[in-house]
Amino acid sequence: MKLLEINNLSKSFDGKKVLEDISLTVEKGEVVSILGPSGSGKSTLLRCATFLEKMDDGELSYCEKSVVKSVNGKAVYPNKNTMKEAKSHFSLVFQNFNLFPHYSVMKNVSDAPIKVSKRQKEEVLEESRRILKKVGLEEKENSYPCELSGGQQQRVAIARALVMNPDMLFFDEPTSALDPEITAGILRIMKELAKEKMTMVIVTHEIDFARAVSDRVIFMDGGYIVEQGKPEDVIDNPKNERTRNFLKKLSV
Amino acid sequence: MQKKRISKLPLMFMCMTLICTILCSTGIISVPVFEAAGQTFTVGFDAEFPPYGYKDDNGEYVGFDLDLAAEVCKMRGWTLKKQPIDWDSKDMELSSGAIDCIWNGFTIDGREEQYTWSVPYVDNSQVVVVKSDSSINRLEDLKGQIVIVQKDSSALAAFTGEDASKENLALAKEFKQLQQVGDYNTAFMNLESGMAQAVCMDIGVANYQIKQRGSSFRMLEERISSEKYGIGFKLGNTELRDKVQESLFRMKENGSFDEIAKKWGLETSVCLDTGAGSVVKDEPVSSSDKTADGENKNGSDYLSMFLQLLDGMKATLIIFVLTLVFSLPLGLLLTFIRMSKFRILQVIAKVYISIMRGTPLMLQLLVVCFGPYYIFGIPLDDSYRFYAVVIGFSINYAAYFAEIFRAGIQAVPDGQREAASILGYSNSQTFGRIIFPQMVKNVLPPVTNEIITLVKDTSLAFVLTYTEIFTIAKQIAAAQANIIPLFAAGIFYYVFNALVAFIMSSIEKKLSYYK
Repeated sequence: MKLLEINNLSKSFDGKKVLEDISLTVEKGEVVSILGPSGSGKSTLLRCATFLEKMDDGELSYCEKSVVKSVNGKAVYPNKNTMKEAKSHFSLVFQNFNLFPHYSVMKNVSDAPIKVSKRQKEEVLEESRRILKKVGLEEKENSYPCELSGGQQQRVAIARALVMNPDMLFFDEPTSALDPEITAGILRIMKELAKEKMTMVIVTHEIDFARAVSDRVIFMDGGYIVEQGKPEDVIDNPKNERTRNFLKKLSV
Repeated sequence: MQKKRISKLPLMFMCMTLICTILCSTGIISVPVFEAAGQTFTVGFDAEFPPYGYKDDNGEYVGFDLDLAAEVCKMRGWTLKKQPIDWDSKDMELSSGAIDCIWNGFTIDGREEQYTWSVPYVDNSQVVVVKSDSSINRLEDLKGQIVIVQKDSSALAAFTGEDASKENLALAKEFKQLQQVGDYNTAFMNLESGMAQAVCMDIGVANYQIKQRGSSFRMLEERISSEKYGIGFKLGNTELRDKVQESLFRMKENGSFDEIAKKWGLETSVCLDTGAGSVVKDEPVSSSDKTADGENKNGSDYLSMFLQLLDGMKATLIIFVLTLVFSLPLGLLLTFIRMSKFRILQVIAKVYISIMRGTPLMLQLLVVCFGPYYIFGIPLDDSYRFYAVVIGFSINYAAYFAEIFRAGIQAVPDGQREAASILGYSNSQTFGRIIFPQMVKNVLPPVTNEIITLVKDTSLAFVLTYTEIFTIAKQIAAAQANIIPLFAAGIFYYVFNALVAFIMSSIEKKLSYYK
């Protein structure tokens, strides 16, 4: 099943084109990494897909249900309820975690399922504990974000996303704000998720990680998808000049 | 002086003359230089009591009383010496013989036994002014009404002073309220808008005000008190009194008395002989009262002062609490309007905030209080005064709070809103659960500032004659010529603010569990 389908997405900021005619499909269970230099539009693509930015034109569907339609060259968004339903299909893990500082770890993780999804409190708390244990933070449920290290905060953010039981997860450079030795821990959790067949779209600069976990790698530059395919093709044998230049710069 | 030495000592003579002139003219020594020409008549007066005796623009001592004294001296061949005195030491001046009399709008009533008096020559009665269409026709009708007097005025003394008559004291108790205002303009605004039913004042002031304000006001014929001015001589000095009085009578006969009265615009207020005091014309509005000399200080006064201040404290606390209760939510609402997606709403909020922050709070209070009457013609009731104070403070503080809240909301990182959006929080959930709690933490320090300012700003309620602690403190201070009430009010403000600061810092500490 196509969990996510984007067709002909375009987006500009103040007249400057940031995304141009992007089409992208993500199948259930697929892990897709998006690579590219900064300013290539990969974060904006993620933000458009998660409704943090409004696309100018294009179509978007979750689980083969149309959400954003293109009418006369303009993207048309549906009503609140449809949006809320669409949002229930995915979650996003931010580069800066964006935990709620005034909530404890447990409340950060459990508040949305209880208040937004209206699930049973006991059941949510139980599941939250299970997931916190999975990310290695079972001891920290009563701590506040400011008492945690960056790596621990990102684990809470991942747990918070997982408790919502999304069909797919977006990651926006999840390790860019972290020290290298902490990065490994986060990547390990993501690998775990990949093994469990969690559908993921990951914007990252971790080439080795992308090669290891991805089913497909997308290389973006200047608002276009320049090249996509299996990681061994795109990363190890890039056909496009720009992909080669980018990878060369990364390898130093 | 020995004239034959003059030729030998011209320089010394000139120096002596110069020194004498300087000393005499500055009043440092009093030399009977013109003794030969006749007796010197030294009149003591307070140089700050126009039109009876004051220093004019040229630095000369002039006035109605001084002109009368000059005329008496002219008739008697005396030499007039105008001696400005410190009002508090008038008795010492008189009994020591430094002055011969006190002649200076000097109220007889209540001092009958302390001086040897001339017959009264000016009547300065206290009268009642009401709206022309008022149903009040006699003093009795004032029962159950709101009556206004000027602070520290003769009218106030007539109702509450130590020398007030029993009838007036009893009447004043029957008033719904006896309110004190700072100036007659405020008094008449209150009267005109219906927040008070009567204003009491000097007859001269009443005539002046009615003349200025047209026919919408009238004066009751019945008077609150009859205050008469006489010349005060040292007790027992009837000889001098009789001489002066006789001259006054002669002046009355030959018309010079009335001429002088006319010169000073007091022709209808003088009452020599006939005793009929009717109307003063253009007497200046400032009526510093000579009866309230501030000689009443004793132990029980401090208790009553404390009790009065306690009342004022209650009043202050009520407006403080109510203002916070209304202005904080109103400020939040204003923040929403200010941050609304609709430009027109944004502009409305911006203009509102700019007006509220750009004009004096005192003016806003006046507009809120009197605007309904003067702009829309809605007659006001006294109970509105309290609402006006609370409304005025609330809409003003809401503007400040709105801007503080806006800054507090904008200080919450965008990532918080984005995370809430991803998790599916609705707009109201996002605000209520995520943004608002963080905003509260952000705005605590500036809000504390505002609250402390509010505590002190409550004193501005005096412009609407709402009697909070500062108004009361000023009234007691003026009545008792005592600074302690003001000092006590200052301590109250300080302690109250210290408490506010303590509470706010406790809340801040409580919220410091996260960064």
